[in-house]
Amino acid sequence: MSGAHPQEDGHRPRGPEFPPGADQPPEGMSRRAFLELMGAALALAGASGCFRQPREKILPYVVQPELTPGVPRYYATAMELDGYATGLLVESHDGRPTKVEGNPDHPASIGAAGLWAQASVLGLYDPMRPRSLRRNGRRAAWGMLAQALAPAALAARAGARGAGLHLLLEPTGSPLTAALLARLRARFPDARVHWDAGGNAGGVYHGTALAFGRPLQPHYDFAAADVVVVLDADPFGAEPNALRWAREAASRRDPEARTGMSRVWVAEPTPTPTGMYADHRLRVRAGDVGALAMDLLAALVALGTSVTAARELAAALRARAAAGGDAPWNPAWVRGAAADLHAAAGRGIVIAGTHQPGDVQAAAHLLNHLLGNTGRTVWYTEPVLPEVADAARAAATAGAPTPPGAATLAQAIEAGAVDTLMILGGNPALTAPAELGLPRALARVRQVVQLAAYRDETTAAVGAGGDHWFVPAAHYLERWGDGRAWDGTPALVQPLVQPLHGGHDAAELVALLAGERSTVHELLRAEWRGRAGAAGFDGWWDAALRRGVCGTAAPRVAPPAARLETVAGMLDRLRPAPGGALEAVLRPDAKVHDGRFANNAWLQEMPAPLTTLSWDQAALVSPATARRLGLVSGDVVRLDVSGAAGGRALEVPVLVTPGQADDCLALPLGYGRRGEDERLARGVGVDGYALRTAATAASGIVPGVGLARTGAHRDLVLTQHHWSLLDRAEEIVPSAAEAGAQHATPPAPRRQLTIFQPVQPQGADQWAMTIDLARCTGCSACVVACQAENNVPVVGREEVGKGREMHWLRIDRYTRDGSDAADAADAAGSLDDPDFALQPMLCQHCEKAPCEYVCPVAATMHSADGLNEMIYNRCVGTRFCSNNCPYKVRRFNWFDYNGEVAATEALAKNPDVTVRGRGVMEKCTFCVQRIREHQIARELGQAPPPVLTACQQACPTEAIRFGSLTDPASPVHGGRESPRAFSALAELGTAPRVRYLAQRRNPSPLMRPAPGGAA
Amino acid sequence: MSHATVLDAAPPQAPVLAPGLDAGAIEEQVLAAPLWGATRPRGGWWLLFLLFGSGALLLATTVTITVLKGIGMWGNNIPVAWAYAIINFVWWIGIGHAGTFISAFLLLLNQRWRASVNRIAEAMTIFALVNAGLFPVLHLGRPWFAYWLLPYPTRMTLWPQYKSALPWDLAAISTYFTVSLLFWYLGMVPDLATARDRAPTLLKRRVYGVLALGWRGAASHWHRYRVVYLLLAGLAAPLVVSVHSVVSLDFAITQLPGWHSTIFPPYFVIGALYSGFAMVLILLIPVRHTYRLQGVITERHLEALGTILLVMGWLMAYSYVTESFIGWYSGNVFERYALLVERPTGPYAVVFWVMLACNCVTPQLFWSRRLRRSEPVLFGASLLILVGMWLERFTIIVTSLNRDFLPSSWHLYVPTWVDWSILAGSVGLFGTLFLLFLRYVPLAAVSELKELAHELHGAPHEAQAEEARRA
Repeated sequence: MSGAHPQEDGHRPRGPEFPPGADQPPEGMSRRAFLELMGAALALAGASGCFRQPREKILPYVVQPELTPGVPRYYATAMELDGYATGLLVESHDGRPTKVEGNPDHPASIGAAGLWAQASVLGLYDPMRPRSLRRNGRRAAWGMLAQALAPAALAARAGARGAGLHLLLEPTGSPLTAALLARLRARFPDARVHWDAGGNAGGVYHGTALAFGRPLQPHYDFAAADVVVVLDADPFGAEPNALRWAREAASRRDPEARTGMSRVWVAEPTPTPTGMYADHRLRVRAGDVGALAMDLLAALVALGTSVTAARELAAALRARAAAGGDAPWNPAWVRGAAADLHAAAGRGIVIAGTHQPGDVQAAAHLLNHLLGNTGRTVWYTEPVLPEVADAARAAATAGAPTPPGAATLAQAIEAGAVDTLMILGGNPALTAPAELGLPRALARVRQVVQLAAYRDETTAAVGAGGDHWFVPAAHYLERWGDGRAWDGTPALVQPLVQPLHGGHDAAELVALLAGERSTVHELLRAEWRGRAGAAGFDGWWDAALRRGVCGTAAPRVAPPAARLETVAGMLDRLRPAPGGALEAVLRPDAKVHDGRFANNAWLQEMPAPLTTLSWDQAALVSPATARRLGLVSGDVVRLDVSGAAGGRALEVPVLVTPGQADDCLALPLGYGRRGEDERLARGVGVDGYALRTAATAASGIVPGVGLARTGAHRDLVLTQHHWSLLDRAEEIVPSAAEAGAQHATPPAPRRQLTIFQPVQPQGADQWAMTIDLARCTGCSACVVACQAENNVPVVGREEVGKGREMHWLRIDRYTRDGSDAADAADAAGSLDDPDFALQPMLCQHCEKAPCEYVCPVAATMHSADGLNEMIYNRCVGTRFCSNNCPYKVRRFNWFDYNGEVAATEALAKNPDVTVRGRGVMEKCTFCVQRIREHQIARELGQAPPPVLTACQQACPTEAIRFGSLTDPASPVHGGRESPRAFSALAELGTAPRVRYLAQRRNPSPLMRPAPGGAA
Repeated sequence: MSHATVLDAAPPQAPVLAPGLDAGAIEEQVLAAPLWGATRPRGGWWLLFLLFGSGALLLATTVTITVLKGIGMWGNNIPVAWAYAIINFVWWIGIGHAGTFISAFLLLLNQRWRASVNRIAEAMTIFALVNAGLFPVLHLGRPWFAYWLLPYPTRMTLWPQYKSALPWDLAAISTYFTVSLLFWYLGMVPDLATARDRAPTLLKRRVYGVLALGWRGAASHWHRYRVVYLLLAGLAAPLVVSVHSVVSLDFAITQLPGWHSTIFPPYFVIGALYSGFAMVLILLIPVRHTYRLQGVITERHLEALGTILLVMGWLMAYSYVTESFIGWYSGNVFERYALLVERPTGPYAVVFWVMLACNCVTPQLFWSRRLRRSEPVLFGASLLILVGMWLERFTIIVTSLNRDFLPSSWHLYVPTWVDWSILAGSVGLFGTLFLLFLRYVPLAAVSELKELAHELHGAPHEAQAEEARRA
């Protein structure tokens, strides 16, 4: 209070201590000019030092002013994952990438960036990345490898037609890679390429191939769909195009939307971000989803959806609908969903997960076809990943699931056909089904060249004998390349730095095999010159680099006639599994994906969506199943898959999770890593891949899993231990009806009798945030974005277990029903069909902040523009503020968490944000550095950048809106006065600047009125 | 005994000073240890010193570890940002209350029996405050900046934030410590002069001589001494009430359920006195026994203290009931949960029930006069009460913090070995200081006792002294 200058909003000091004229430049060289020169000199010294931008010319996003030392620039690039590219803008501070944002011009991003993109900056600076190319474990030079792989040398060994040459690649939509592969095949026609479909990229083509006879890329318009039926898919969470689909769907989850609210029916085995949007969520085992789809089809036929093509089939379906049956799910859900789809024919979407067997996906496509959705809300293009699609088509024709690339590779090695193996992506020794014996087979190949980000399980399997090479892979921020989005839009990948540790990439190696010695940059330009035309190419190239997008979406194709006859076979095949049999669902994890992000500390520490597991992995079980088996969270069980290859077993702790399907264990993949370099990932969880067989690898659905208690117990590290809102829902996170009821009543007289005066804002801006809970899926991209932007330290498993995680923003999740005694932790609950409530919780920037008046040293104060500010260098660490914060959003530096950060990791820090030392409090600042940047630009008369907080910018569904209350055009006003608006713990009188908009479900009138709308 | 009080009203009473105890005997008894090194029990003193001294060393070690590494060495977390250090702080400062209460209040109320026990009680206050003062500083994230809580003229013209209770706390405690120290020292000056006069060695004569500030026992000395002593007593008495009231505001000014309560100031003062009297008994009983001071510290004292414990125990019970009742009566879901669900049935329910047993059931023993006079019973009950009062602070601090408004942030608190070592070490430091006190300082107010002996027994002590000198 005293001493601080609360009314000082700018950077021009006022007050008696500065005499008139103190801010005028002195004669001669001014202080400012001197500092500018010094700054430039230092920056140039830095530029010529160790930190280099790429040699080739890279171009910042759109058009930005010329480089000013200390002012970051943004470069457009793209990150490819599971074969699909997402356009990004990367913030670069003097040549040092520090933060990833979405590229608003890119169709798969539209301005948002998911958590893997957000965390990729830390991956770039990971000090455990390998630093050298090695041959048989010894350092080697690129030139030696180039010599060994020269076409002449290759031909001498692998045959002139390259019969002994095998390549293992991750699916990629890169036009450059496709062209290079074509040139390689031209040179070595017998060379074989195996696609290691990590993340099951081929699954989607399997479904379309079954439904239409040839593989196609399906597209959905969730913004136009009035009814969405999701069959074990995660289109708003894990799918490659999820950022776009989630935003489109979110536009229809807003009860005030002009187009009306959509109704979302979700059937899924384990809760996903998509499930959070469900108006009626059905818990169903993954293996039963096919049978559910058949029931849905039958119900639609019963309602009158015509199946003109096949009269017999229609009869069979009608019979099925009439029989009702003994399905282990609520038939009302099927009837309700069918009625909605029928009523909204042409305005609905049925989507099945790409992990589901082809049959189930085909059923979804056929449903869309029958309902007339195809061509309206659903359409198709040619595959973005043609080679993967071809493999899927072959499998569909054979009536088998798409075999993983590892399987075909293992067969080839068994047959002795492999002389030179190029592993250019993926980690087959980890992800291949165990019965293939791939790790042993790899060691037998004469020459193996592995390109990987880390020395991993495959490196260990390849071993150091023979002629085995390890090539460190360049991070996507270090290399040139291209890729295609889900909708086919191509984008260029431009590097922001030269490879930190001399990394290389797959295109470079394929080019080498094809006998081309140009750099990737040259190859890329040549490729795109061919596509864009030589005339005016340089201008085209510059524009493409600046915008980050270099083409348009693939054109729609009219799908061939739907093959309804396949349904007859499905009706026989797709039947619910007998009750009581345990099923395991093994899917890539929401945090570490297939294991490739396991060494990323931001992701490991991030509380997993909904479960809040941190630095840990668990098999999720439903409360009912836990009761039946007598399990509580943390009990270590032994899972075994008998019969398959002698039977394999895993010991893993269980976590009782509301919303999980009964008799279904969800075990995320990507843990239990054993890689040599990935030391961070070691000891976290167990390797779920061990339970998969060749038959179950594509779907990850393993039926008939045996479960035995071991008697051991592991204390799982969770950041939120309680599910129930008790009787506090109305105070903390009311449903829309409750929030509306609060508004409906006029302000209570006792409120008017308060002795406290309302706060009188002083500054020109009054910053505030509105969070629309109807739009939040709990995907947690905001959590990682906040960590990256604000230099939030990582504290590790032990500290998180003690309750010392440092995240400024967390996603609170509750169940509306159930008492505390029914908490999932003790497995005695009744939380089987929970109504979830999510609430991103961050500093509420209370106008009457309880933290401020208890600080003895005035280290937390209010700014004139409405921010609750934390003054780190004034803080002595009494922690009184945290005790008095009813939201418990303040975080304390219990140790010197930033003291042991590796030199490269320090480069990931945002230079605009103080790195906090030991013993001080910290918390959300509303990204004050971005606000001040905006104000400075405004004061200098420049066009101020819009103020976006990091969480807001990352949010795919635009659930977070931020701005100044004094600016009538600010998006923060949207819905702020609506009946859905509420403040958390409003009764305490803290007057938070964060306002939430309550979630509202759109329940079907056909469903029995369930509280909150859960099916 | 014309100044009848409640305590004095009980019919048959033991004497406040054994009959036949004259001035010479009093001096001999009280000054035996400081002057002639007659520590008691002989080997036992050293054994105890070793024990408590190691405790003090443990404290020094763990404090060093905490300062070097950070507060993370403790079990604290978010939401339980305050735990053992603050519990220990409130506990020790509460213990520190009885000393000044006995000295000042009883002096002002003219309770003559205080003369035998006030020195020990005041020493206890000082040592407890030394302990208590350690914790708020150690507890800071950056303890080297503790001085920022002081109102001193800084270059940035930044003053402490006086809306916070912590600067009040600092002011209240430092004032209390200063006054208590002055009061203790001033009351000791005539005794130090006696020690100087009777010191057997030159060194002791010199040391006690300096400390006695040239006291010659002149009438003017006595006159001024009485005036200042009374004034200091008048100053100290309100401090007894204010200090723990202010400490309680550290909690009461927040809005945390379980802290946000208007009953806190009187509730804390009562609790403080309760634990303080229990500690007085714990110190008095072994001293009385080993130093054979049954004549100076009589059954009358024990009985009075036992009665106080009974009264205080009931006041505590009343406070607990009121606190819970208001929690229910407020109708507030958070208050009701904190006081009526979390405390009696939550994860720390054992602490709550043991606390009630220690603080409310234990003192019921003292309805019996026999038990009020029994040294072992008083000692055991006092130990239980001290444990109970420590648990009460645990209940208030940890049990309130670990489950507050949002169930999302609920988290348990588990103390680490450093937490336990610091608690044990602070007891060690207290014991060490007290043992040194017994060894080097007159443990009872010799001058006041002589005066009391004169008044009670009426013996012309000059004649007795003459006699002694002749013999």
